[in-house]
Amino acid sequence: MSTIIEVQNLRKKYDDVEALKGIGLSVEEGEIFALLGPNGAGKTTLFSILATLRKPTSGKAVVLGKDVLKYREEIRQQIGIVFQEPALDERLLARDNLMLMALFYGISRKEAKKRANEVLDLLDINDFADRASRKLSGGQKRKLELARAIIAEPKLLFLDEATLGLDVDARRNFWDEVKKLSEKGSTIFLTTHYMEEAEVADRIALIDEGNIIAVDTPRSLKEQVGGGLIRLDTEDNESVLHWLKQQDLEAENSNEGLFIVSNDPSGLLPTILSHIEQKVTRAEIRQPSLEDVFLKLTGRSLKNGENEEIESVKNEWVK
Amino acid sequence: MQGFWAVILRDLKRIWAEPFRLISGLAQPLLYLFLLGSGIGAATQLGGGQYLQYIFPGVVALSLLFTANFAAISIVFDRETGFLKAVLVAPVSRPSVAVGKVCSGAIQALVQGVLLLIFAPMIGIYFGPLQLLLFIIFMILSGLVFSAMGVAVATNFSSTEVFPVVLNAVLLPMFFLSGALYPLRTAPGWLQKLSYADPVAYGVDLMRGSIMGEFYYPEWLSLVVLLFVGFLLIWTAVKVFEKGEEI
Repeated sequence: MSTIIEVQNLRKKYDDVEALKGIGLSVEEGEIFALLGPNGAGKTTLFSILATLRKPTSGKAVVLGKDVLKYREEIRQQIGIVFQEPALDERLLARDNLMLMALFYGISRKEAKKRANEVLDLLDINDFADRASRKLSGGQKRKLELARAIIAEPKLLFLDEATLGLDVDARRNFWDEVKKLSEKGSTIFLTTHYMEEAEVADRIALIDEGNIIAVDTPRSLKEQVGGGLIRLDTEDNESVLHWLKQQDLEAENSNEGLFIVSNDPSGLLPTILSHIEQKVTRAEIRQPSLEDVFLKLTGRSLKNGENEEIESVKNEWVK
Repeated sequence: MQGFWAVILRDLKRIWAEPFRLISGLAQPLLYLFLLGSGIGAATQLGGGQYLQYIFPGVVALSLLFTANFAAISIVFDRETGFLKAVLVAPVSRPSVAVGKVCSGAIQALVQGVLLLIFAPMIGIYFGPLQLLLFIIFMILSGLVFSAMGVAVATNFSSTEVFPVVLNAVLLPMFFLSGALYPLRTAPGWLQKLSYADPVAYGVDLMRGSIMGEFYYPEWLSLVVLLFVGFLLIWTAVKVFEKGEEI
């Protein structure tokens, strides 16, 4: 295993706004690495620097062993990108969009044709390969862009808010394909502000106001918050509640069932189940979500100010 | 090098997908030639038929000028749709993209110009082989210069609504000043002087001279000016593309 991305004390200033305030992180080969944070936290800026689209103000960023400032062409040769906003040539056929990108990567026409067929098969999108790109659905376009991003067999794949604007099904479908690619050994760096999406990652970096506030596996991050909830439904919730209170457990009865707060819900649940005599109709452990982690670390929610932030990111690109 | 070809190939594929654009692109020059030309021609000392022959190279230049410049709108369009980002992050050098765009615009203009040549015999212009060769060489040269102009301008724009307005405001004066529709020789002195600053005038003069055998500017001057302006514009376009690194 080698290090694919290495970032040290990276800063980026736009006029008088500091978008990145001295960031450090590293991504290992074969990992799915997610950058999770609210919009405007600096995700797109960091992604753009790593993908050679912008220059850092100071600090060091090494991608695939090469400095992003000195070896842009070499890095570009080995990365694939799916952008936040669709970036297809709408007038070309889906297949021609793939071919074209392959040619841009210096792949011969014959080889490009072969590669196009391979990625069409791999992502199972042959059925719309010969349709004009503008006639595709949002989900199909995203898949086509994913196909395009991997046509030159990149060592590193960047996905910048790649499912923005997709419905839940299309989103799930997209991440299934990404997981497939990861299983084949690709390293994937993704940015998102949807916590469910970050769950696909091996490791997550939480970013807020230009700082990385935590980097860990989804599980360890959630363990940081500590504890969780047990949700229990029995034939007689009232008597169970009574018993729970006797055991000094923090419990509550609601119309959704009994909720028990605990530092170690996974350890506690079997104990409870072995002690109560009532028939159990439902038992569930609710782990803290990444949302809870973010809330705990920053005191703010991931979701606030979503729409205005999207606008500001768009404006950044237009500039 | 392959990136350069890919840029051109893509543009040509797009045109192929909409061949109607080529046909509709003929409308403007044919209007100038047959409607405006016949009307004005009848009032000149030359008479209708000869006037049409006289302005034919000018109308070809008009077609080259507008087609080549408006071809560059694809750059603005690509920036608007985000496709340009995908191209710029691919391992294609900036000069390849810029020069590729210039050549693709010139090719589109040339196709349009060659389509116009079909109408030449209708107004009594019959090319000899050498004349035709010279005429086409001058068409290529002018097309490249006009296309470079479009690319150099387009790289500064990010709105497909503003760009055409600006182009029209620049191109029409260039066209009217070029002597495409009247002889510069008999034009007022100030207009003659002004025309020296108009690259289109040199293109028109070369093309007209290759048919009529008589040039207004010395041929070497026209060639030098067009080559110089062409290189300057391509260099500008490349520079702007490179500076635009940070999108």
